[in-house]
Amino acid sequence: MSDNRHSTAQPGKEEYEEAVLKDDAEYRQQHETVKRQQAEERERAGEPAEPKVGVYICRCGGNISDVVDVERVAQVVAMVPGVAVAKVHTFMCSDPGQHTISNDILENGLDRVVVASCSPFLHEQTFRGAVSRGNLNPYLYEHVNIREQGSWAHKHDPEGATRLAIQMITGAVGKLRNAQPLELIKLPNHRQALVIGGGIAGMKTAAELAARGIRVLLVESSNRLGGRLNERGRVYPSETMASDLVADLERQVRNNGNIDILLNSKVTVVDGFIGNFRTVIEGLIGPSGGFDKRDALVGAIVMATGYRPYVPRDGEFLYRQDPCVLTTPEFIQMMQNLDAGTGSLQYNRRTIRSVAFLHCVGSRQLDGVNEPQADGTLNKYCSRTCCSTILQQSLALRKRFPQVHVYDFHRDIRTYGRGEEEYYTEASKAGVVFFRYNGEDPLQVERATGASGKQAPSRKEAPITITVKDMLTWGQEIAVPVDMVVLGVGMVPSHIEDLVDSIKLPTGEDHFLQEVHPKLRPVEVAVNGVLIAGTAQGPMNIQETLNAAAAAAVKAAAMFAREMVELNPYVASVDASLCCGEGLCVTQCDYEGALHLVETEIDGQTVQRAEVNAGLCVGCGACVAVCPHRAMELNGWRLDQFEAMVDGLMADTQHADCEPQLVNLG
Amino acid sequence: MTTSANGNNTYRPDAIIVGAGIAGMQSALDLADQGLQVLLVERESSIGGHMIALAKVFPTLDCASCITAPKMSASAHHDNIRIMVNTEVQAIRTVRGTHHVKLLRKATYVNFDKCIGCRLCEYACDSEYPDPFEAGLGARRAIAVPFTNAIPQKAVLNPELCTTCGSCARVCPTDAIEYDQQSEVVEIETDAVVVASGFALNSLNIKPQYNALQSKNIISALTMERLLAPHGPYGRVLRPSDGKIPSSVAFVQCAGSRDVSIGVPYCSRVCCMYAIKQAMLLSGALPIADITIYYMDIRAFGKGYEQFYQNAKAMGINFVRGKVARIDPIEDGDLNLHVETTEDAENILQEHHHDLVVLAQGMVPEWNPSLSTPVAVASDGFVATPMLTAPTSTTANGIFVAGVASGPKDIVDTIAEAGAAAMQVSQYLYQKRAAQEHVAGPVLVG
Repeated sequence: MSDNRHSTAQPGKEEYEEAVLKDDAEYRQQHETVKRQQAEERERAGEPAEPKVGVYICRCGGNISDVVDVERVAQVVAMVPGVAVAKVHTFMCSDPGQHTISNDILENGLDRVVVASCSPFLHEQTFRGAVSRGNLNPYLYEHVNIREQGSWAHKHDPEGATRLAIQMITGAVGKLRNAQPLELIKLPNHRQALVIGGGIAGMKTAAELAARGIRVLLVESSNRLGGRLNERGRVYPSETMASDLVADLERQVRNNGNIDILLNSKVTVVDGFIGNFRTVIEGLIGPSGGFDKRDALVGAIVMATGYRPYVPRDGEFLYRQDPCVLTTPEFIQMMQNLDAGTGSLQYNRRTIRSVAFLHCVGSRQLDGVNEPQADGTLNKYCSRTCCSTILQQSLALRKRFPQVHVYDFHRDIRTYGRGEEEYYTEASKAGVVFFRYNGEDPLQVERATGASGKQAPSRKEAPITITVKDMLTWGQEIAVPVDMVVLGVGMVPSHIEDLVDSIKLPTGEDHFLQEVHPKLRPVEVAVNGVLIAGTAQGPMNIQETLNAAAAAAVKAAAMFAREMVELNPYVASVDASLCCGEGLCVTQCDYEGALHLVETEIDGQTVQRAEVNAGLCVGCGACVAVCPHRAMELNGWRLDQFEAMVDGLMADTQHADCEPQLVNLG
Repeated sequence: MTTSANGNNTYRPDAIIVGAGIAGMQSALDLADQGLQVLLVERESSIGGHMIALAKVFPTLDCASCITAPKMSASAHHDNIRIMVNTEVQAIRTVRGTHHVKLLRKATYVNFDKCIGCRLCEYACDSEYPDPFEAGLGARRAIAVPFTNAIPQKAVLNPELCTTCGSCARVCPTDAIEYDQQSEVVEIETDAVVVASGFALNSLNIKPQYNALQSKNIISALTMERLLAPHGPYGRVLRPSDGKIPSSVAFVQCAGSRDVSIGVPYCSRVCCMYAIKQAMLLSGALPIADITIYYMDIRAFGKGYEQFYQNAKAMGINFVRGKVARIDPIEDGDLNLHVETTEDAENILQEHHHDLVVLAQGMVPEWNPSLSTPVAVASDGFVATPMLTAPTSTTANGIFVAGVASGPKDIVDTIAEAGAAAMQVSQYLYQKRAAQEHVAGPVLVG
């Protein structure tokens, strides 16, 4: 590989490197000049020439100090240029610890603070708060993780962990020396939510927000509210009619003046950012009910786009090959359409004397066992609701038609929820016969061949045979003749590919929308201001969907409780005096609208210059890396900060009794 | 800090949250972020609940304190949240829509306003007892900060173990020790309450045929969490009876749930997943150990859970479908499991030897609010939730429920429900105040 690379060196590569080096040298020169100017300014303003950095090292009650020699760390870093105080505390995050910081800022005039403790994930905000309480800009703060990345990771190497702590702190001090105060980016907040999807999740989110006094646009692509529940009869575990649940929620959304309901409508355009999404909704809207377009400016978008039932492939368990092989939704519809007085179960001119329910159709698929979907992927996940739905339906079937034999084929029974295990118990009592098989040994559903071999079965014989290796009877192979098969189909995401593309929503391996973190930010996606409600995120039952929807609503409500949207200041910025308008940065930028070229007038000439949209920039730094003129910088992570940080990290810490040697990498 | 909320009449929070585990903290944060004033009440000496004592959490295998500690910290530092630890709800009386919440503030014998959490008292104390945070495996001093990352970092004195020798008072730099401190009852009024009182595990000995009292090596899953935690009692996995490194670990599922004979017919919903998680962590900590999970059904139903289960199978963890009938302690502290399986016709009744057994105890409610509040419980003992389209509503107007208080749930479902409860509270308050002040307009923003 390396030989290859050598031989195919790009022509002009050396020139390029030379140019970069020249740029580098120029940049360094400029940087030195700037630093000198800053120092002069400081002097003029009567400020001290060197920043005064306070370094605080946490023992974390032994979590750190049992491994890291924190006293030695303090002793060494106290000698790093710029460090005014270096202190050790048992718990920096405790109130006394935090008080030390704010007190030192006020009394000793510190103007930069470093805390070396646990992960910034835990306490960076805590210490920024302490810095603020000392009336210092909270971004003149650096957090060093010497626990997770120090004492815990290197607990068998105390000397190494101690030296590492010194290096990391020295690096942070270096980075801080060149730090500038930053402010939160504040942007207008349009207090209206767009809820996409009018099923129970969308209705619940809309109802909650509206009842809290927040305006909502509720957009539904079909001609009625209620979503998938419109296809259901009684729902477990309450045995309420699904239509009653829908009616209850529909009353809540229709009776609230804060909600605009748009049926037969689709969201076709989304751009902008948190607090400021520009959207276009198309559909049968407007006073005439005709096809129309409508623009809406909204602060938050809630994806309540739900699921589709899995549709088996033609021939999968004889689906679409035998008319009496139905999916659970089809079976539920069939049962609902039966006349009340029917004594025997007839379907497609077949007398149904036995019914088999199959679990995990389109769910829990295994590599090498199940056939992949059209896109080559397997639905490896559990669809969570099918077990209880099947047991509820099989119990109802046994009760209504006691003469019909009901067989249940499962891998595991997952009636986990409150009031769900009862269905399993009741179904067993009601005479449902259970077969259990291993996923690796799938069952077979075939047309029965009849007693006389290859001929079709006679009218008295059941037309379908299910063969299973039953693990409730020690792995015996059993052939079960049945008249009807119900496929317990799982959930797959709705067709929202257009929205996923246009909003750039992340999806998981299971194709459902992907939350940022299942516990820390469970209803948020990586796009700020976009929330997920319900089964758009993954399979859930009704209660779980309602809870997820209300949880999405509460995040939107918290966002709208603020006058302005506040974003962290780590975004790119352009030095217009260095920018040449080449636009390399724009082509590198992955976040649409975050960076673009604008025309501006300089010395009477119209030129192009890069401009950052702080609302959309995520601070990834891709633009900084490609700019040949060093016109792009990342606030809080400027290149001169990086260099100073690397110099600090390379400090020679071998001899604790001497000052760390700052190695110049340049 | 917000721990010294006083009980005088001027303090009237918008909502009181009962229980500061993951559910209570999440509800509190979601309310406080909307500008509402919240009082978070916790019976123990630190907030954080069960979750802060866990090792890692499924299915991401994040360290539990990495998720819990930031929420604890955020709760403690939120301008709109006050925390009262060592405090129990004695009763809630609702009069014309106002809840009068009677709180017992238990004596800690340490003045929290003075205590700086320096732990000098702890180091000076001579009296030790089995540390409840470490599932009894480590030792705690009679006066101690409850655990390393406890919030608040305040020492608490256990009067049952204290010999009143005076050592702690002598070393305390702020004179915070108050041997004569008394418990007090305060009553605080509020418009809304969230019951987030969580769960307890039923007894390790609830199935006497498992003989858990006869062997130290039959342990609770929460004990296993501490053994697996990087900062746990031994810093490694050792079995409690003799400190041996276990070579064959069994997980017995449904050892306190899905069992009519012990009055817990329901599924505890989390045991399959934590057993799989612990099995995975064990196979990392003890690469040569055999690990077996005895189960009825594997209920890996949440997002990413089934994949987690399949990974565990691929890692070589044994899954045996069968019910453990009896556990007998045998020589050397080992255990003999009698198992009935349905998978092998030749060998239905099997015996297996293990040197450490983890019982999946069932989840039962920690608190029965029906005894002293208007909140009713259902036949399973958990809070009843009669409103189908509002699963966090209770039988009492203005009192809501979140998390395991209304039935077993995993952390993911608990956090979602805690957010939902916070939403119900905030819209309830908005509606209530809009009705009260319809002339002046609602007082909440948004």
